[in-house]
Amino acid sequence: MPITTKAKSPGELEDWPAIREAIRRYVRTRTGRADMADDIAQDVLLRLIALRETQAIGSIFALAFRIADNLMVDTNRREIRQSGDLDEDWPCDAPSLDRVLDSRRAVEVLSSCLRRMPPLRREVIIRRRLRQESCRAIGNDLSMSSKAVEKHITRGLVDLRQAFERAGIEPVGE
Amino acid sequence: MPPELYTVDRMAAIWVERMSRSVLSSELAAEFDRWITTDPRHVESYARMQALWQSDGFEDALQEAGDSPPLPAVPNDNDPLSWLARHRMMASAMAAAVLCLIFAVPLASNLLIDRVHYEARKGEARQFALVDGSHVTLSGGGVMDLRLTPWSREVKLEKGEAFFDVAHEKIRSFSVDMGTAQVEVLGTAFDIDRRSDGTVAVQVFRGLVGVHAGAGRQWRLPAGTGLEIAGDRVRSLPEPIGSAPAWVDGWYDAMDTPVSQLIEQLNRVSATRVTLADPALGNLLVSGRYQISKPEAVLDALAVTYNLTWRKAGDHYAISR
Repeated sequence: MPITTKAKSPGELEDWPAIREAIRRYVRTRTGRADMADDIAQDVLLRLIALRETQAIGSIFALAFRIADNLMVDTNRREIRQSGDLDEDWPCDAPSLDRVLDSRRAVEVLSSCLRRMPPLRREVIIRRRLRQESCRAIGNDLSMSSKAVEKHITRGLVDLRQAFERAGIEPVGE
Repeated sequence: MPPELYTVDRMAAIWVERMSRSVLSSELAAEFDRWITTDPRHVESYARMQALWQSDGFEDALQEAGDSPPLPAVPNDNDPLSWLARHRMMASAMAAAVLCLIFAVPLASNLLIDRVHYEARKGEARQFALVDGSHVTLSGGGVMDLRLTPWSREVKLEKGEAFFDVAHEKIRSFSVDMGTAQVEVLGTAFDIDRRSDGTVAVQVFRGLVGVHAGAGRQWRLPAGTGLEIAGDRVRSLPEPIGSAPAWVDGWYDAMDTPVSQLIEQLNRVSATRVTLADPALGNLLVSGRYQISKPEAVLDALAVTYNLTWRKAGDHYAISR
């Protein structure tokens, strides 16, 4: 995870309220839950403040969202362990995007969209996400520039998101 | 999707890919922070894209697609301009054309606008045939206004629930305004429930509808889907059964539905008002098919389910423990 590169100069202050709000928004969009968003934002903020004391942070938001990713996974695990309702698609009132994405229907929609893509684009995405190859390695193998590889991935992701939105019901924006 | 949102999603996709690399340059790090802080929608789009990228579902889909033969490509409808935008553009072009016609003909445009007010008495659902050939069933106590112009069909649902079977017209759009949310349709059949607590539920039986809930929130609902909007919270509804909602025939399908909602349905049909002695009883959940055209039978069923009692007290039924 690309995080530690160049720090802000020590005198520079972070806009913590804005950072907290961004984390809340990030978690709420993914989980559909305001309560979880508040808890996680608070937790992430404390960790960021502590980390900033000892580390140079390149992108405060990249780090914040990554910590939030991990906390969301932890919280979900804990809640599933406590309630045991694994079968429920959406146990809470609002649909959680993360849960929806793992459903069988979502896999079908994404897979059919992938199969309709130009073969080269599909191949690029499979190599990048599934096999974790770098853009440069993929470019070398398929005789194209890294920029072209990135373009395929970007375009593919937008297509997948739209296929997913088209297929069902998903909040767009808030 | 408006072109603007398309650009946001594209940027989000670029960032998600960059964030999955092992190193991020300090320039890109600073650029990411700038991008995130310029617009709250950037965070949301990034969150959605990251959810896709990180999901197990995506991994499974990639595995599956890699192992299966490709499918024929479909005509590309992922243009920055979605069907909704295109439809709107076409509609406004048509509207402009029609407007020109109107001005060419010396006619007061008021003559071309029909306004009709519809009401269904409490306890009695009513069916209306609209002049455009559409049919509406309005629940008891329901109130709606229709405004027909040469270029649009606009319904304002003030109160209650309505099932719309819309006659398809190429030029005139059909839209329903529920105050907090709007539905736009082509030719289709759908049910809208505007509840007294401000919740709005939309269920689509045929065709496709677009729902707008303000603040950039929009959804596209194909047949067999439904959506419930309560303030900031949105949840999808189970697939509706049959070709019209059950209440049209005097039934109500509950599925983990709060008793308060069942009572609201009953009160649209029942001539005698149903009340709860303790509002907390409204939070109990019920499932099953209730014949709301026979309120007393529903009350009996409810009483048995939760060991409650009900009695007729003057002009209303009272349910209590």
